[in-house]
Amino acid sequence: MTISVYVPAALSLLLAAISRIVVGRIAPTRAVVFVVAAMLCAAASTWGLVLLSATLLGDTSLVAEEASERGVQLQDPVPQLIGVTAAVLLVSGVFRVVRVLRARRATTQELRAVCSSCGTGELAVVALAAPHAFAVPGRPGRILVTRGLLSVLDGDERRVVLAHERAHLQSRHHWLRAATEVSAALNPVLIPVREAVAFLVERSADEHAAAVTGSRKLVAQALAKVALAGGADGDARAWSAALPFAGCGVSARVAALHSDPPRPEPLVPSSVLALGVATAIAAVQATIAFYQLVYWLWPT
Amino acid sequence: MGTRVSRSSRTPARRAAGELEAEVLAALWAADGPLTAARAREAVGGELAYNTVQTILVRLYEKGLIGRVADGRRHEYFAVKGAEELAAEQMQALLSRGRDRQAVLQRFATSLSVEDARLLQAMLRRRP
Repeated sequence: MTISVYVPAALSLLLAAISRIVVGRIAPTRAVVFVVAAMLCAAASTWGLVLLSATLLGDTSLVAEEASERGVQLQDPVPQLIGVTAAVLLVSGVFRVVRVLRARRATTQELRAVCSSCGTGELAVVALAAPHAFAVPGRPGRILVTRGLLSVLDGDERRVVLAHERAHLQSRHHWLRAATEVSAALNPVLIPVREAVAFLVERSADEHAAAVTGSRKLVAQALAKVALAGGADGDARAWSAALPFAGCGVSARVAALHSDPPRPEPLVPSSVLALGVATAIAAVQATIAFYQLVYWLWPT
Repeated sequence: MGTRVSRSSRTPARRAAGELEAEVLAALWAADGPLTAARAREAVGGELAYNTVQTILVRLYEKGLIGRVADGRRHEYFAVKGAEELAAEQMQALLSRGRDRQAVLQRFATSLSVEDARLLQAMLRRRP
């Protein structure tokens, strides 16, 4: 088997490294580039695992008999251990994807249920003291906030939260996040990319809110107030501690809003996209190499 | 994606009727008690005309999203807490789910480390 079957894994590592480095500097609207690259890397590396697992079939009696009938000299293209490892990785990846999709669906359903308990209209308010705000995708999408969030903010700051959540809904950020969550489930090497995209969509919604309200400082202030009001949230702390890198949370967003507005840089997005395309090409090459191994199986 | 920064950064965008309804409703929820139209206008902030706020309040009232009490010749408006208990329970349950579920929940603000909290507090003090 050619080296190209391993290339997607290597390029995934590279993509993860790039996303860690540039996430703080890139214009937030570039999130979609990372999403596309992550999907290509995940698809290519998963296909690579399929091909490597398929080499195990050469050891099954069915294929072996067929080969001896046709006088084909069978040789293992990769050590059996690699085939087995690939198969294990493949199966566990599929399990993780199922888990992510289930969690997403259950969470969205529950958010919608809370919204419908809160009456109709765009805004749904829950009488809870903990400060939370969520964009709930759907037709139409809704904004769910707690009373605790509304009461720590003034009128202008409340407008920031509404504009931020509307940006998520209008730009369909939940699809970007879902795509990277599935990619990272298939290929855990891409977890930093998932986190980078999660951060960039928040930044994107922050900048949208700043454009709507006319003040980036106001957005930073609203964000800081909500984050501080939720400081005692033990549950949230438990899972955010599990994120692979710090410095991509609220404080990074506040800091970004206090510095100059982001300028689009053409170099990073195009190189990230090129990386995704290179991964796809490697997958095609690996497929051709695999086909050349087994073409004798097809009836002539 | 979303950030269409087409407008000048100093003039806030004109808000659509639906957006204004959400703002007024949010203001009523944030208030401690019923608000007159004039007080609601203050609570919403910005440069809304009194008549606009009045219109929105009536519209929200007609939709059953807010209630009102007569205070002399004026009305005082308040947020209607329909299935308050149920919604709060559902939300509590949602927030206490396991890690898989928390990971896909898209929060406005995540919780802070002690150090971050200190930094943000200092920032808020500087810019009241």
